[in-house]
Amino acid sequence: MTDQNNPETVIETDVLVIGGGFAGCFAAVKAREQGVDVTLVSKGNIGRSGMSPFPHGTMAVPPERTDKIEELKDQAHVGGEYINNRTWTERVIKESYARFQDLVSWGQPFLKDEKGDFVKPMQGNQEQQGRLWALEDGPGSWAKSLKKQPQKMGVHILEKIMIVDLIKQDGKIIGAVGITRNSFDLYVIKAKATVLCVGSGGFKPVGGWPMGDVTADGHIMAYKAGAEITGKEFEDFHNGMIRRTGGIWLSNISPMTNAEGNSVPGFGFGLNADLEAHAGRAPLYRGKDEVFSGVALGLSVHTAEGIWPVDEDCSSGVPGLYAAGDSCATMAVGAAYSMGGTGTCNASVTGARAGTAAAKYAKQTVQQTVDGQELSRLKDSILMPAKRKGGFSPNWVTQLLKNAMMPYYILRIKHGQRLQPTLELVEFMRDQICPKLYARDPHELRLAHETNNMIINAEMKMRASLFRTESRGTHYREDYPRRVDPDWLAWVMIKQVNGKMTVFKKPIPQEWWPDLTIPYEKRYPATVG
Amino acid sequence: MTIERIDIGLCIGCGTCVESCPMDVIRMDDKTKKAIIKYPEDCQLCKLCEIDCPQNAIYISPEKVSPYLTSWG
Repeated sequence: MTDQNNPETVIETDVLVIGGGFAGCFAAVKAREQGVDVTLVSKGNIGRSGMSPFPHGTMAVPPERTDKIEELKDQAHVGGEYINNRTWTERVIKESYARFQDLVSWGQPFLKDEKGDFVKPMQGNQEQQGRLWALEDGPGSWAKSLKKQPQKMGVHILEKIMIVDLIKQDGKIIGAVGITRNSFDLYVIKAKATVLCVGSGGFKPVGGWPMGDVTADGHIMAYKAGAEITGKEFEDFHNGMIRRTGGIWLSNISPMTNAEGNSVPGFGFGLNADLEAHAGRAPLYRGKDEVFSGVALGLSVHTAEGIWPVDEDCSSGVPGLYAAGDSCATMAVGAAYSMGGTGTCNASVTGARAGTAAAKYAKQTVQQTVDGQELSRLKDSILMPAKRKGGFSPNWVTQLLKNAMMPYYILRIKHGQRLQPTLELVEFMRDQICPKLYARDPHELRLAHETNNMIINAEMKMRASLFRTESRGTHYREDYPRRVDPDWLAWVMIKQVNGKMTVFKKPIPQEWWPDLTIPYEKRYPATVG
Repeated sequence: MTIERIDIGLCIGCGTCVESCPMDVIRMDDKTKKAIIKYPEDCQLCKLCEIDCPQNAIYISPEKVSPYLTSWG
């Protein structure tokens, strides 16, 4: 199967796990525990890429704290504005402590009290006691356990390889193709089952939460393979703050002072800062040294964006393909980030479920032979930017996309009159700019594929935002400022049909509706403003 | 405010920063066997390289403001 110009390395494995953060490491370890051969591949380095290096801790509720479990469920229903998936909310909360114990057994140090118990809450906040556990060494120390455990278990680790496309044959996913950092040679990984754990996607923000390598790669690969995608209309609230003394702090949920010296309440789904800017009262401060920069991430709410899991195993609906972590939209928290710390524990819980299920599927599956013609087609398409003599550089195109996506009035304070022309601009970039991307070296080939993925993600975000003709959680439409029950007690789904992006509504089960006789203001206590 | 320099006098060529950088900004120089800033425009200011460097050889400027985009300004 080798070719003189671009020789490829061919690897065979039972379970291929793509992405090396919480979800990927849990998927790899749990699949390996089932006794199958597992390969874990990351475009960066395990425990050192995506968003996983940066959390301060994780959420985990001890099973005996039934009071906390009930409190959190209520918080998720109301805070998530009733479109959280209650089955997954409960699963994530109930399985959180077992996954926390896994991390402890893998050697990840968490803060303890004098007696040696894990009791110290993450930020000393009363409300968070008994559920948020802080790292002993602070953010950045996750690599200690995340990489070591898969290594110890005998998982094959491939780093600095970006998986660019899945191989689909006879309706099933039978592997994936990746690119490397040092040459234009390809990696072809044949797998009986594949788990996507590559996070969600943003638009390479600089100055907000560091997530420049999270470019919706998994969502787009799964979408092209026929999976359903959801949650693209929502927005994360960590839209950034810059300390004047250098460095970055995050969060816009604390009270701020506007340019006129008046206090601005925090939270409001993180939109209060944007509304102040919209009214001409930016910049916004906290203390003397901290300025809210308003760096929109383009990321949706953790757990509420990505590949729709069709069952409790996080199957994508495409045979052989599973998703976990921020690649998978369990909708455990709904339209706003209603349970702090869920990002990590949701990734651990879904990673463990998807990894176990993928291993069981692999045991009953025969390794397929990859069709030579299909492989040639994939190779040509993947290497096209490298074969071009000229065109547009990925960094320039990314800059254009940022110009379109970054202003507060596109992804945060939305209006149909702005979303529609932006969608048309993104479609132009998709059709006229992307095919002319060119890569001068392997580093730029990675950037070209990331740029392609970000542009398709932008199209999804515009279409989903236009489609939901109401406001809910972090999705705020100036032209539709109110929640509309029961019409929009529903999820916005995206699927490729005959090569076209189609958007449709999936109603939530009626038994999950809020009591519609409760007055609007009480049903939605946390409205913007 | 991006990665500004790697002190060649302090760098021992251990490659830790190359492993730490999620953005592929840092590479090893084949000739000097030390770390070099190959793609500074892709730095996302996460500081993982600075945190991980055993020699404190990496300097990320707090002064220079890169022309990043903001939601308003």
